[in-house]
Amino acid sequence: MTGPGPTSRPPAPRRGGGWTPALPAALMRAGIDRFAMSSSTPEKLDRPIPRPLSRQLLEAGLVIAALTALASLAPRDYRAFSLIYLLGLVALSLRLDRTALLAAAILSAVAWDFFVIPPRFSFTILDVDDMAMFGAYVVVALVTSGLTARIRQQGEHLGAARERAGLLAEADRLHRALFESVSHELKTPVTVLRTAGLALRQAATGPQAALAEEICEATDRMDHVVGNLLDQARLESGMLVPLLDWCDARDLIAAAGAAVQRELGRHRLVVEVAADMPLLRVDSPLLEQALGNLLLNAAMYAPAGTAITVRAGIEGAGRRAFIAVEDEGPGLPEAIRAKPFQKFRRGTAANPGGLGLGLSIVQGFVAAQGGTVEAGNRPEGGARFTVFLPVIRPEAPPAEAGP
Amino acid sequence: MPSTNMNVGRQIPRVLIIEDEHQIQRLLKITLEADHYVVRQAYSGRTGLIEAAAFRPDLVILDLGLPDMSGLEVLKRLREWSGVHVLVLSVHTDQSEKITVLDAGADDYVTKPFDPFELTARLRVLSRRQGSAVEAVVVTFGNVKVDLSSHLVTKHGREVTLTAMEYAVLHLLVTNRGKILMHKNILRTLWGPQFESHTNYLRVYMRRLRQKLEDQPDQPAFLVTVAGFGYRLNDKAPPINDGARPDLSPTGT
Repeated sequence: MTGPGPTSRPPAPRRGGGWTPALPAALMRAGIDRFAMSSSTPEKLDRPIPRPLSRQLLEAGLVIAALTALASLAPRDYRAFSLIYLLGLVALSLRLDRTALLAAAILSAVAWDFFVIPPRFSFTILDVDDMAMFGAYVVVALVTSGLTARIRQQGEHLGAARERAGLLAEADRLHRALFESVSHELKTPVTVLRTAGLALRQAATGPQAALAEEICEATDRMDHVVGNLLDQARLESGMLVPLLDWCDARDLIAAAGAAVQRELGRHRLVVEVAADMPLLRVDSPLLEQALGNLLLNAAMYAPAGTAITVRAGIEGAGRRAFIAVEDEGPGLPEAIRAKPFQKFRRGTAANPGGLGLGLSIVQGFVAAQGGTVEAGNRPEGGARFTVFLPVIRPEAPPAEAGP
Repeated sequence: MPSTNMNVGRQIPRVLIIEDEHQIQRLLKITLEADHYVVRQAYSGRTGLIEAAAFRPDLVILDLGLPDMSGLEVLKRLREWSGVHVLVLSVHTDQSEKITVLDAGADDYVTKPFDPFELTARLRVLSRRQGSAVEAVVVTFGNVKVDLSSHLVTKHGREVTLTAMEYAVLHLLVTNRGKILMHKNILRTLWGPQFESHTNYLRVYMRRLRQKLEDQPDQPAFLVTVAGFGYRLNDKAPPINDGARPDLSPTGT
């Protein structure tokens, strides 16, 4: 889904002055029902506010008192009541905190001993079996209360985590919808300009053709800027998931060169691919764009008429493939060389224009597919940007019998 | 695939544009009418599907970002009853969506911002394919001739020796010339379904074919790669790179 828009678009929000809530509407159409996430307040993220301890203790006391009263009705079955007390504790564990539950466990043991176990109304226990029973009860009660409290706590954590994950997913969906919406709104006018410009250029003659050419050139430039901004946003939002597949470096280089053909018009593009260049396991559109940006960068800094060379091969005993873009320009100045891939950095020799996002995107796209980029100057002069990619040797296709 | 709208005998091809952006609709209409198409416009997926049934277009231009349903949904519903050729318009950002759409039966795609001449060229390829019920026996591209009946391939009149699999790949491209052939489909057809993801096989074979058939194997004019999707035989290769064609120095370094 890229282009939310109404079936029959009312003209007002397009031309009218002032802001119209078109974006929220667009987002809703993109499937986001709740633009404002007001339904989930921060408190909801935490555990429910606990009731005061005194109330919990009162509750525990009441339950134990009731059970004790019940036990005094059948004094002969006093041993069996240990199980009923335990049942009471488990029931309480659904409502009480850990502290209150431990207190309840101790209280129940004391109550059972004092009110139920003979001799009644005394802490003394005469029977050895009763003593063992009481000891076992204390242990089981404490363990049960501790465990159930912990289980409940984990359940609460789990619930909170699930809710947080849900919120994050929703934020992510919102982000995507926003991105798609903005992307669509920027790309549509560029498309219109490009289409109209190219048609005009073909139809026009003389000075009008030159003007149409200017429109086309400006459109291409705008297209690059929009593309860079969107790519940068994609990188920073973490939405970028590279789709790795086998690619022929020659294809990538040819496609990158074709994409920036107009901008390279004043330079000579030289491509040198080693005969033993292996297949690369990369996301070809991403790498193609990274190479395109490197070519654009070279075209921007190197003087007209010079060669821009793309060199590809393997090194490091065949473990690493490289694709280098070399120019015959002034090279990278010292200040830039330290951090050439930083956003919004531009060399002083640049033609006015450009946001300085190109190289930062190159690095982001290459890193996303497991590669690295290095920048430096060639000993002969000029800059060299090298993309390094890991070499993974694919299995060869099944052999065929001769032709 | 059912081909219910082969309007045999009708000369002027009809195009249905399903696109919600009015400005792009207007531009496409101007461009296509100048190219002598009869144009019908739909501004949503729902009306697009109704028009596809009522207007019986030869070609459909389908935008992926429609307000009421996804382009994919429109395509799937259309494919339930129609084999009409569909060219998809998309923005560059979502590669996987394009793959899904081509997989669902779209014939080609153009990325926004697109070149109007490229668009009409693609449409011509699609409409030509629509009309050519009888497949040509000899197909020519550049200096290469492929005789589909005798399996003879020549370049500059001289025979080119191809292995059986090389010929099979070429045959598939030639019989689908102008159209995107997805990696997956080529691999499934020639090697079998379990090899669908072995794109490395194809890279190897395409490289060999290019070395045997292209004038500049590293800058193929005919056996072109469609990044991320597959290959296309561009049998009417225009000299796109004139002036800016790179120097290609074969090196062994």
